[in-house]
Amino acid sequence: MLIWVVASIVFLAIRCVPGDPAELLLSQGGAAPDPATVQQLHEQLGLDRPISVQYVDAFRRLLHGDLGHSVQDDSPVATEIWQRLPRTLELIAAAALVALTTGLPAGLLAALRRGGLFDRTASWVAAAGLAVPVFVVGTILVLVFAQGLHWTSAGGYVPLAQAPGRHFALLAMPAMAIALGLFATVFRMTRTAVLDVSMRDYVRTARAKGVRHHRILTHHVLRNALIPVVTVLALNLGTLLGGTVLVEYVFNYPGLSGMLVDAVSARDYPEVQGIVLVISILFVTLNLLVDLLYGLLDPRIRQTVRQA
Amino acid sequence: MKRPNPIPVAVVAAIAMLAMAVPFLGLANPTAMSIAHRMAPASAAHWLGQDEYGRDVLSRLLWGARVSLSVAAASAAMACLLGTAMGLAGGYLGRVAELLALRSMDVVLCFPPLLLALLVVTLFGPGALTLIPVLALVFLPGFVRVVYAGVLSVRSQEYVDAMRVLGAGRLRIMLRTILPNIAGPILVQLSLAAAAGVVLESGLSFLGLGVLPPAPSWGLMIAAARSTMTQAPLLLLWPCLALSLTILAMNALCDALRDAVDPHRAPGRRPRRLPSLLTPGLLMAPAPLLDVQGLTIEIDTPAGPIQPVRDVSLGVVPGETLALVGESGSGKSLTGLAIMGLLPSVARIAGGAVWVEGRDVLRLEEGELRRLRGNRMAMVFQDPLSSLNPVHRVGSQIAEAIRAHRSLSDHAARDRVLASLRRVGIPDPLRRARSFPHELSGGMRQRTMIAIGIANDPKLLIADEPTTALDVTIQAQVLDLIARLKQEHGMGVLFITHSLPVVAEIADHVAVMYAGEIVEQGTAAEVLTHPLHPYTTALLRSAPAEDGSLPDSIPGTVPLPHQLPTGCAFAPRCQHRTAACEVARPALLTAHPGHTTRCIRWRELAGAPTRQAVA
Repeated sequence: MLIWVVASIVFLAIRCVPGDPAELLLSQGGAAPDPATVQQLHEQLGLDRPISVQYVDAFRRLLHGDLGHSVQDDSPVATEIWQRLPRTLELIAAAALVALTTGLPAGLLAALRRGGLFDRTASWVAAAGLAVPVFVVGTILVLVFAQGLHWTSAGGYVPLAQAPGRHFALLAMPAMAIALGLFATVFRMTRTAVLDVSMRDYVRTARAKGVRHHRILTHHVLRNALIPVVTVLALNLGTLLGGTVLVEYVFNYPGLSGMLVDAVSARDYPEVQGIVLVISILFVTLNLLVDLLYGLLDPRIRQTVRQA
Repeated sequence: MKRPNPIPVAVVAAIAMLAMAVPFLGLANPTAMSIAHRMAPASAAHWLGQDEYGRDVLSRLLWGARVSLSVAAASAAMACLLGTAMGLAGGYLGRVAELLALRSMDVVLCFPPLLLALLVVTLFGPGALTLIPVLALVFLPGFVRVVYAGVLSVRSQEYVDAMRVLGAGRLRIMLRTILPNIAGPILVQLSLAAAAGVVLESGLSFLGLGVLPPAPSWGLMIAAARSTMTQAPLLLLWPCLALSLTILAMNALCDALRDAVDPHRAPGRRPRRLPSLLTPGLLMAPAPLLDVQGLTIEIDTPAGPIQPVRDVSLGVVPGETLALVGESGSGKSLTGLAIMGLLPSVARIAGGAVWVEGRDVLRLEEGELRRLRGNRMAMVFQDPLSSLNPVHRVGSQIAEAIRAHRSLSDHAARDRVLASLRRVGIPDPLRRARSFPHELSGGMRQRTMIAIGIANDPKLLIADEPTTALDVTIQAQVLDLIARLKQEHGMGVLFITHSLPVVAEIADHVAVMYAGEIVEQGTAAEVLTHPLHPYTTALLRSAPAEDGSLPDSIPGTVPLPHQLPTGCAFAPRCQHRTAACEVARPALLTAHPGHTTRCIRWRELAGAPTRQAVA
C-alpha cells in the first residue's frame, strides 16, 4: 500500500514538473531541437498519451517487473538496477559490519570505564566522526592512501569473481568512509544505552543473585542495550540506501546511487522512477525487518504484535 | 529547562555572527578570477592563498559560510514553522487533521532523506533557492513528530483543561498554553535540523546539485579542490576544516541543548568503595546472623553531601524477623541495599560496619561478596516489574540465581526451578517458568521475586516491601510463606515495610526509622503496645484501626535530608516537643533492657495514653 503511494507520487511528481525530457535529450549543445524529432521521440516514449493512460500502463508493466527502458540508451532499467543494486548493498553491509564490530565493544568499554581515558578518546573520535561529512572523509582517504601512500587506487570497482583480492581492496576505502560516521552513531548509542541499562533495577537483581560480573554484562546489560542500538543502526542503514550517493561519487563506485545521480542530471524518467521505487521498497522492507527483529529482541513487543 | 553549556552556544553564535558580518569585512571579491595567480600560496593580500582560478580562498571560505549557514538556517526555520503548525493541528484539532498530518509524513519518511532531496532537485533544478524548500521538506517529519508527541503529552494536563474551562479558544490554547510547554524539544529539533542542513547542503553542492558555481560554497570548494589535491592539498584542507569544525560546534550545541531540556541526563560520578575509611570492626562481638553497627550512608548532591542513613545499628538472629518500619524516604531501603553491598553508585558508606555470619561484608572483596549474595544472603526487591529482566523467561531468571552458586546439569537446574516456583505457591509452574515477566500478574511477579530470593535457601533474607503491590489474600499467602521458611530453615528475615498491621503479624523485633535514624527499637510486643517514642505513637495512630474509627494523620512532613533540624529530627512534628528537644540531637536511650528510644522525654510521656491500634 505504502509502496503504491510512493510509486504514484514519483510518477506524478516527475510528470507535473516543467521541463520536457525529449527536448532536454535532444538539446545537446544548446541549440533548440527540431520540433519534428521531439514529436517523434514523444511518440516513441509514449509521452503524447494522456497521463492517466501512461499511469495505468506503467503500473501494468510494473506488476510484471518491467521498469521500462532508459531514455538515454534504451537499455532495460530493471537489468541495470539489478546489476548495480548488489554492489550498493555490499558496500552498506561492509560498512555496517565494521561499524558494529568496532562501535559495540567500544561503546561498552567506554560506558564501563566512564570518564576514563578510553571513554574520552573514543567520545572525541565519535564526535569527529559525526562532524566530518562522508565526502570529506572519502576525499581525505583518497588523498592519504591512494595519492600519498599508493596503497590502493583512488576508486573503481572489480567484480568479486574476476579478482577477489582487488575487489575487497577497492571496497575497503568507500566502506571505511561510510563506517566512520556509522561507528560514531553505534558507539554513542551503545554507550548511552549501557549506562542507562546498568542503572535498571533488574541489573541490581542480577547482582543480588550473585551472578558473575561477565554474565551480568552479556545477559543483562548488553542484551537490553542492544534494543536501542539496533533501532538506531537500522534507521541509519535505511538512510544509507539513498545516502551512498556521495561515497559512490567520490570513489567512482558503480553502485545504484551513482546511477541515480546520472539519471537525475539526464532527466531519464524511467530510470529515476525505477531507482527511487526500488530504494523505497527496500527502505520499507528494511523497516519491516527491524520490526520483526524487535520482536526477537524484546518479548514485550512480540506479545503486542501477536495481539494486534 | 536548565541553562545549556555556554561553550558550544558561544562558538556557534560566533560562527553565525562572522557569517553575517562577511559583507562588511572588506574581503576580496570571492568570484573575481585572476588566472595569472592560479593556486598562488598564502601572501599578505591573500592570507590563505588563491584557488585554481586565482580567487581569494579566505574570502570564498567566509562567503561560503554565509551561504551554507543561511541555507541551513532558512530551511530549518521553514521546517520548524510548518512542522510545528502541522504537529499542533494534528495533535489538537481532531481526527482528520491528525490523519492528514501523520500519514503525509509517513509518505515523506518512505524516502531516504538524501534520495528525497535528489528527487526534488531533479524536478526543480539545482540552486540555492531550490535547496531551502528541499531541505525543509526533509526535516519536516522530525518536527511534526516531535510537536505531535509533545502535544499528546501536554494536552490532557490539568492546566490545559483549566484553560478550556476558562473558555479560551483552541488557537489561543495551542499558542499560549501548549506551545511554551513543548518549546524545549522543538528547540533541540531545530538545532539538529540546522546541523543536518549544513551537512546536506555541502553534500549536494559537492555533487553539483546544490549551490551553483561560481557562488562560493564549502561543498563546491571541496569538489573543485579534489581535482588539484595532489598539487595543492591546502586548498582541500581549508574548506574541509571549516565545514567539519562548524558541524562539530553545531553537534555540540545540539547535545548541550538536549542535556538542558532533558532532566534525566544529570551526570553522576561513580565513587569507589573506600573500605580503609571505615571505622575498623572493634565495636562489639557480632550477633550470629546479621549485625549492623553505626551504619552511615552519604550521597553527594549539588547542594552538598547528605546523609540519608545515620548511625543505624540493628541485628537479626536466625529464625527471627526484624521489621524495619518507617515512612517512605526514611532510609529503610538504603540500609537493606548497603547490607547487600548494592548501594547505587551515587551513594557510599561513610561509617559503620556490617557483619553477616561473622563476615565484615563492607570490607569484603567483590568476588567474595558475590559468592555470599543470592546464596547466604538474599534480597527481595519492592518493584517486581522493574526488578525482573523483561527479555528473559521467568524460569531462566530463577535458574540463573541457582547456577550462580552451584554447577548443575540443565535437568537438575530445571527441577530446582520448578520446585522453587511450587514452594512460593505458583500454580502450573511448568507453564509459568516459560513466561516472560510481563505475562504474569503482579502477585505472580512478586512471588517470582521471592522464589529467586529463596532459591538457594539463604540464611538471611532482606525483604523490601514485598507485599506492597499485592491484594490482601495474596499478601497473607506471601507472609505465611516467609514465616514457614523462617521456621523450616532457621532463616533470619529483615523485613522492610511501612505497614504496621504487617509488622504485628510477622515481626519478632521492630526497629522504627525516621529521617535516616532509628528512633525506637525493641521486641514487637513491647514497641507495638508500649511505644516510647512519639513518632512510633503517631505511626500507630495513623494505622487503620480495627474498630473502624478514623486514623489520625501525622501533621507535617519528613524533613529533607539537607534540611535536618539541629535537635531531634521529629521535633517539628511532635506534639510533646520542648525547648530542650531542639537543642541537640538526642542519643538512643535504653529504657528497659532490649528496648531503646531516641526521645529525651520518654519517661514523662510513658504515662500518656496511647490508643493500641494494633495489638
